[in-house]
Amino acid sequence: MFDSSIIPRLEEVVGKDRVLVRKTDMMTYSYDASFATQLEPKEPDVVVIPLSTEEVSQCTRLANEYKVPLYPRGAATGQTGGAVPIQGGIVMDLSKMNNILEIDHRNLQVIIEPGVVQADLNEALKAYQLFFPPDPGSAKMCTVGGMVSNNSSGLRAIKYGVTRQYVLGMEIVLPTGDVIVTGGQKSRALKSVSGYDLAHLMIGSEGTLGIVTRLRLKVLPLPKTRGLVLCAFDNLEDAGEAVQLVYRSGIIPSAIEIMDKYAIRAANKMLPELNLHEGEALLLFEVDGIKEVVSLQVKTISDAVSQYTNFVQFSDDPVECQNLWQARQVVGAAVGNLKPGGFRVYGGEDICVPFSRLPEALRRIQEIADSYNIICGIYGHVGDGNLHTAPVINMNNKTEIENAKKMIDDIHHLAIELEGTTTAEHGVGIVRAKYMDIEHGPAMELMRRIKKTVDPNNILNPGKMALPI
Amino acid sequence: MKLLTAEQSMEMCVRCGRCRDVCPTLDITGREADGPRGRVLMARSLLRGEIAVDEEIEHQLNRCMLCSACEDVCPVGVQVPEIVMAGKRKIQAEKQERGQERLWEKRLRNLVFERILPHQKRLQFVGHLLWLYQKSGLQWLTRKLGILKLFPESMRQMEAVLPDIPSPSERRPLPEFVQNKQGTTHGNETGAKTGRKRVAMFRGCIMDVMFRKTNLNSIHLLAESGFDVVTPDEQVCCGALHNHNGKRETTIELAKKNIEVFEQLDVDYIVSNAGGCGAMLKEYAELFRDDPEWLERAKTFCSKVRDISELIVQEGQLPKASGRGERVTYQPSCHLQYVMKVKDAPQKILQQVDQIEFVPLPESKLCCGSAGIYNLLQPEMANDVLDKKMTNVRKTQSDVIITANPGCLLQMKAGLYREGLTEQVQAMHIVDFLTESKSPATDHSADAKTSSSA
Ligand SMILES: Cc1cc2nc3c(=O)[nH]c(=O)nc-3n(C[C@H](O)[C@H](O)[C@H](O)COP(=O)(O)OP(=O)(O)OC[C@H]3O[C@@H](n4cnc5c(N)ncnc54)[C@H](O)[C@@H]3O)c2cc1C
Repeated sequence: MFDSSIIPRLEEVVGKDRVLVRKTDMMTYSYDASFATQLEPKEPDVVVIPLSTEEVSQCTRLANEYKVPLYPRGAATGQTGGAVPIQGGIVMDLSKMNNILEIDHRNLQVIIEPGVVQADLNEALKAYQLFFPPDPGSAKMCTVGGMVSNNSSGLRAIKYGVTRQYVLGMEIVLPTGDVIVTGGQKSRALKSVSGYDLAHLMIGSEGTLGIVTRLRLKVLPLPKTRGLVLCAFDNLEDAGEAVQLVYRSGIIPSAIEIMDKYAIRAANKMLPELNLHEGEALLLFEVDGIKEVVSLQVKTISDAVSQYTNFVQFSDDPVECQNLWQARQVVGAAVGNLKPGGFRVYGGEDICVPFSRLPEALRRIQEIADSYNIICGIYGHVGDGNLHTAPVINMNNKTEIENAKKMIDDIHHLAIELEGTTTAEHGVGIVRAKYMDIEHGPAMELMRRIKKTVDPNNILNPGKMALPI
Repeated sequence: MKLLTAEQSMEMCVRCGRCRDVCPTLDITGREADGPRGRVLMARSLLRGEIAVDEEIEHQLNRCMLCSACEDVCPVGVQVPEIVMAGKRKIQAEKQERGQERLWEKRLRNLVFERILPHQKRLQFVGHLLWLYQKSGLQWLTRKLGILKLFPESMRQMEAVLPDIPSPSERRPLPEFVQNKQGTTHGNETGAKTGRKRVAMFRGCIMDVMFRKTNLNSIHLLAESGFDVVTPDEQVCCGALHNHNGKRETTIELAKKNIEVFEQLDVDYIVSNAGGCGAMLKEYAELFRDDPEWLERAKTFCSKVRDISELIVQEGQLPKASGRGERVTYQPSCHLQYVMKVKDAPQKILQQVDQIEFVPLPESKLCCGSAGIYNLLQPEMANDVLDKKMTNVRKTQSDVIITANPGCLLQMKAGLYREGLTEQVQAMHIVDFLTESKSPATDHSADAKTSSSA
C-alpha cells in the first residue's frame, strides 16, 4: 500500500510545485509509447520533477525509507512500458534535468544531464563540427538518459554502433540514494579498463539498478556529406545478395534500410510523387564522409546492386538525397494509411534475426499477419537484421486488438526460433518480460541476484525485465 | 482539407512524443499534462465520458495555447487544438446545462462574440470609445490615480501597450481599389512575374480598429509590389475568435458571408496580414464537411488565401527597401507557420532589405503566448512563457522585433514592457517595418512606438 505521508516529505525536498498529485497528472503519467499501456494504462500515486542530483538522491532515499516503488522516466517515448508505474508509487520525471553542462570539444566529449534530448545535443554540437552518433527514430524527442537506460540505437548502428559505445562515465543515484560515479571519478580519459566496468552494467538496465543523473559521452567528428543509393527488387533473396556484394566491395555504409512491399505501398500512398517500384523489397544504402569519397562509394554501390536489379537511383547531392530519403522518413507514419482509420501498433516491432535468415523472417511475418487477417508493413535495418514490424488495426475493433496481441506473441517466438532476439534496440520493459527466461535460461538467475544486491528493497522500477515485482 | 476529422484523429495518437519538443507550456513545467499527448488523453477521456466535467479538467484544458505547433509536427496528423476545443465545448455546454456558467461571463461572451465582433460598425464604435479614453485625458487620469492597480497584472500590461487608436476620421473605410504601382512594364528578368495579379485584402476585425495603419500600409505595399488591390467593405470578421471559444454557428455564418463577398470579386488571391485570421480563412473548408454545396465554395476560397509575405515572395517584387543599420529579429506567428505553413517567407523578405542585420531568434518555434484571454485565464503560465521569450529576444541584442500577427505584436510589446525594454527594442508588424524601410525619409511608420511613453 502506498503510504501517502511520503508526499509532504517529497515536497520538502523539491517544493510543492514539482510534486504532482492531481487526478489529471496521474492520468497523464500512466503511459509511454507502448501499445500495452495504450490498452492498459497504469497510474502512479505521485510524480516528482527533480532538478538536481541532490534532489534525485533525497527523493530516492525517501522512497527506500518508505519502501515505495520509484519509476525513473525520461520522455516516455519508450515502446515497452519501461517508464510506466505498474505498481503505483512514484514516477520521477527527469526530463527537466536537461542542461548541457560542458562541451569539451578538444577532448571529444560532452558532459550533460540525463534529460537532454538527443536532437538538442546534436544541435549544440554542430557548432563544433561534432556529433553524438546513436540515432534512434525518436531522436527528436527521447532523452539521452532514456537512451542510455535502454541502450538505444538507430539506423546508423551498422557503422557507428549503439549508445553503449559512447558512454565514458556516468553519475548514478543508487536505489538507496547513494551517489556514485563510474568510469573514474575525475577521469576525462577516452579509454579505461580500470576496475569492474559498472557503467556497462547500468547501461541497458532500464532504470532497474540506478538513476542516471549525469553523463560523460564520447562524440565524433561530424561527417561532411552523405550519399544515397535507392534500389528496388522483385525478389527478396536478390536484395540479400545485393547487400553481400556491397560488403565484399569493401564498403561499410552508414545505413542499409529495407522496406517490404506493404511498407513501399504505404509510402506511395502517402506521397504518390515518390513513385516507388512496388516489388518485394526496397533497399536504401547511405554512405557518409568527405565529398569525394562519398561520390566514389555511391558509384561503387550502385554498380554492385545493378547486378541484381534495374531499379536503381543514386545521388550525392544534398537536395536529391533528401528526396530519396523521404520514402524511409515517412514510412513509420505512412503505414497507418494501409487501411482506413488504421492505427499503427508498436508491438513485436523490434526483433532481430541473423542476416542470412532475413528473407525467411520477412516472409514468415507476413504469413503470421495473414493468418490473423491483419495488414502490416515491415521496415528495418538490414545491416544488423533488425526489423520493425508495423501491424495496422482498427482500435475500436476488439477482435482486431486481440488478434494483434496474438500476432505480436507469434513474432517474438519466431525471432527466437530463427536464432535472433526479441528486441534489438527498444528494450524489454513489461512487454517482453515473458520471453526473458526462454532467451536467457540460467543467466536470468544471475540478473535477479544482481538486482537484489544493488536494490535490496526492490525500489527501482520493480516488475520490469522479468525481475521480481 | 484534412484527411480526418478532429474526432477521428483523436484516436490516432500513438503517443510517440514527437510533439513534446515544440510545446510552449510543456517547455515551462515539464508536466506531461502540460503537453500535447497529455491534452489529447484528457480531452479524449472527457469526450468519451470516462471522466466528469469539473474545475480541474477545465483548468487543464485552458492551459493549452492552441498554437498548433504539435499538430504541425505530428506524424499522423492528430489535430490537438481542435480536440482540446471540442473538450472545452463539452465543458461549456455541460456548465450551461447545470446553470453553472457565471452570468457575467455568459453576458460578456455574448456581447463580444455575437454582438460586437461580427459587426464591423459596432467594432469601430468600440474603437471610438478607446480612442476617446486615450485622447480625453481619461487614460492619463486613470494612470495617475493608480486605478489600474485594481485590475489583474495581465490587464494592466495590455492597457499599457495598446497602440494609439487612430481617430474616427482617420478610420474612414479603406480604399476599395488601389492600382498596382509598378505599371504594365514591370517585370523581372524572367518575365514570369509580369502579369498584374488582382488581389483582395482581408482587413480583419480588431486589426482594422487597432492597427488601421498596418492595413493601409499593407494595401500600399501590395500595390507597390505589383498587385491591384481591392478591399471589399462588406467583408466580416474571420471567425477565429468565435471558433476558439466554441461559437461554431457564428463561425459558420461569418465564413459564409466572407465566401460570398470574395466570390464576387474575380481575384487571384485573398491576402491576409494577420497569421491568426489567415489560418482561419485557410481552414474554412473544415467547417463545411457535411455541406457539399458550401464545401466546394469554401475549398475554392481557401485555395486563394495567402499571407502577405508569402504572396510577395512568391509572386511579387518587393520595392527597394533599406534600413538604418539596425539589428532585426523575427518572432513567427504560430498560426502563420503551423497552420498556413508559411515558414520562411517573412525571413526571406527581411533578408531583401538592405542595411539591416537579421539575427534569428533562438527557440522561435515556441509560441509567445499571444495576447487575448489566455493572459487573463492563465496569467502565471502566460508570463512564464513570455519571460522566456524575452530572454531569447535579449540574447539577439536586436533593436527591432518583427511579428506577423496583431496578437503576437501586442504580446511582444507586453513582454518588452515587462522587461523594461520599451526604450531599447521596438516591436513592429512586418508590413510597417517594410513601409518604413522603403521610404526612410518620410516617416510612414504606423504606430512604431508603444503608447507607454505617456
Ligand atoms: C516513433 C518512435 C521511434 C523509435 N525509434 C527507436 C529507435 O530507432 N531505436 C531505439 O533504440 N529506440 C527507439 N524508440 C524507443 C525509445 O524512443 C527509446 O528507447 C528512447 O531511448 C527512450 O527514451 P525516453 O527518454 O523516452 O525514455 P523513457 O521511455 O522515459 O524510459 C525508458 C527507460 O529508461 C528508464 N530511464 C529513463 N531515464 C532514466 C534515467 N535518467 N535514469 C535511469 N533510468 C531512466 C525508464 O525507467 C525506462 O525503463 C522509438 C520510439 C518511438 C515512439
